[in-house]
Amino acid sequence: MKSATHDDALQGRLPLYDDTSSGLDGRQRSETSPQLLVRQSWLQTRRLLIRWRHDAQTVILALVLPSMLLVAVNLVFGKPVSTVSGTSALYGSVPMAALMGAIFGSTAAGVNLMREREQGLLTRLWVLPIHRASGLLSRLTAEAVRIVATAVVVMCTGFVLGFRFKQGIAAAAAWVAVPAIFGVAFALLVTTTALYLANTVLAEATGMVVSLLFFFCTGFVPLAQYPSWIQPVVEHQPMSYAVEAMRGLAFGGPVVTPIVGTLLWSAGIVAVCTAPMVIRYRKASMR
Amino acid sequence: MTDWTGMRPNPSPIRQWWVLSVRVIAPSLRNGELLIAMSLSAVFTVSLYLPLKNLMAAFVHGSYAQYLIPVIALLAVYFSAMSAALRSSTDTVSGINRRFGSMPIAPMTPVAARMSGNLYRCATALATAILCGYLIGFRFYRSAEYTIGFCLLVMLIGFTLCFVGDLIGMVSKNPEAMTFILVLPAVILVMVSVGLQPADQFPGWLQPFVRNQPTSQFLYALRACAGDAGHSTAAVTTLNIAPALAWLAGMLVVAGPLYALAIWRRR
Repeated sequence: MKSATHDDALQGRLPLYDDTSSGLDGRQRSETSPQLLVRQSWLQTRRLLIRWRHDAQTVILALVLPSMLLVAVNLVFGKPVSTVSGTSALYGSVPMAALMGAIFGSTAAGVNLMREREQGLLTRLWVLPIHRASGLLSRLTAEAVRIVATAVVVMCTGFVLGFRFKQGIAAAAAWVAVPAIFGVAFALLVTTTALYLANTVLAEATGMVVSLLFFFCTGFVPLAQYPSWIQPVVEHQPMSYAVEAMRGLAFGGPVVTPIVGTLLWSAGIVAVCTAPMVIRYRKASMR
Repeated sequence: MTDWTGMRPNPSPIRQWWVLSVRVIAPSLRNGELLIAMSLSAVFTVSLYLPLKNLMAAFVHGSYAQYLIPVIALLAVYFSAMSAALRSSTDTVSGINRRFGSMPIAPMTPVAARMSGNLYRCATALATAILCGYLIGFRFYRSAEYTIGFCLLVMLIGFTLCFVGDLIGMVSKNPEAMTFILVLPAVILVMVSVGLQPADQFPGWLQPFVRNQPTSQFLYALRACAGDAGHSTAAVTTLNIAPALAWLAGMLVVAGPLYALAIWRRR
């Protein structure tokens, strides 16, 4: 095994994974095997996570800014919203800060993807015998990991401010899963947009969509505060569903309907975006 | 022998400034940047006015539209400053500044050109903000001089912040990530100000900060210039305007030498 590797290196052909037998002949595991998909996706996920960890800006964006947003929202709107709704505003603002963290991060990841396309990394990976799906899959997995980390940090900030889980440990675990589901679906949307749009417009356009989602959300201000003509929109937009699901899981109240709503929205985004994203990613990789 | 010195170009700085300004402004008409600048003002107006109008009715006397429009003008200007940072950072990273440095251009000309592009964007954003304000019920209640004063003050704030943004962009190595880093502090600074609700609604320990931070000082000055229906806002006095101007002067005094240092170090 060792000598085979050595021979290959002498011939200028380096082994790509250490568990395969020599050469690129028929005995090698096919690059479409599900086992390799898992292993290679994990490898690339780790690459992305290591990169983020070493980039101070990404760390601040993922771990510090959402908590700052939570503190600010709580200072400004905590009192009036609690007065109007009768329950602590934290059960709406903590979920919203976690979701905003998820969204901010996926926008940064979209920008990162475009940079890697410019630098030729995607093309480079495309010519290697790597499972075709691992590139995209690893990006989404890395997103999920980052979002869970963000949600946990925001949750801890919430604890300091007075946020509590009143429905037990299982509900708390589900609470963390909601932003992960919503965030991965949103990451899919941003990735698709990033692959189709110009660089400068992407950041500002998503920023605008995000602020609309943020301000017209039941986590920001109770539904009854909005003018009645816009209430249906506020009630049924994806972020309101996610916030309501998380409110139900932490404080109590309806859980099934908002969770179904979140899942339906996420499934809808996945259904609409997957095909265009894969087609465009392929194109971007083959440039 | 050829007289090489005779072939040196003798460019006019004004024309250079004009060419470089057009370089900044012309693409913004085509690539949607201007459209985004205008729709940002509209989005801020809608997304702050609709949810907060009822909620804040108990705390804010008079029309909430009148209360809100100065802060929307400020937000629009803050976002212009962010795009100024993005532009300057992109120029640095893509190497065109280095290129300008090797050409017979005065060191301040590219900066001046970028700044005129930024002011153009600020003016568009301000005009849209005032237009949106008129739609929801904002009015200028004082005489024309004060209206002009309002616009001039917003533009002056825009100039200062864009200058600072340009400086930050010039020293940053990562244009896209930087924009996100700047957005949230700006939004938080606006939220923890007298922009959305009066200072006495904040917890006591925070109130000194809320009152004295630059955003609030800008807002006191702008509200004084706009006036309101019941004439309940303070009149335009030195006491209202001076702190805002002092903050701006302070920012320029700090940013100016740093800017010179950044240009000097790059050469």
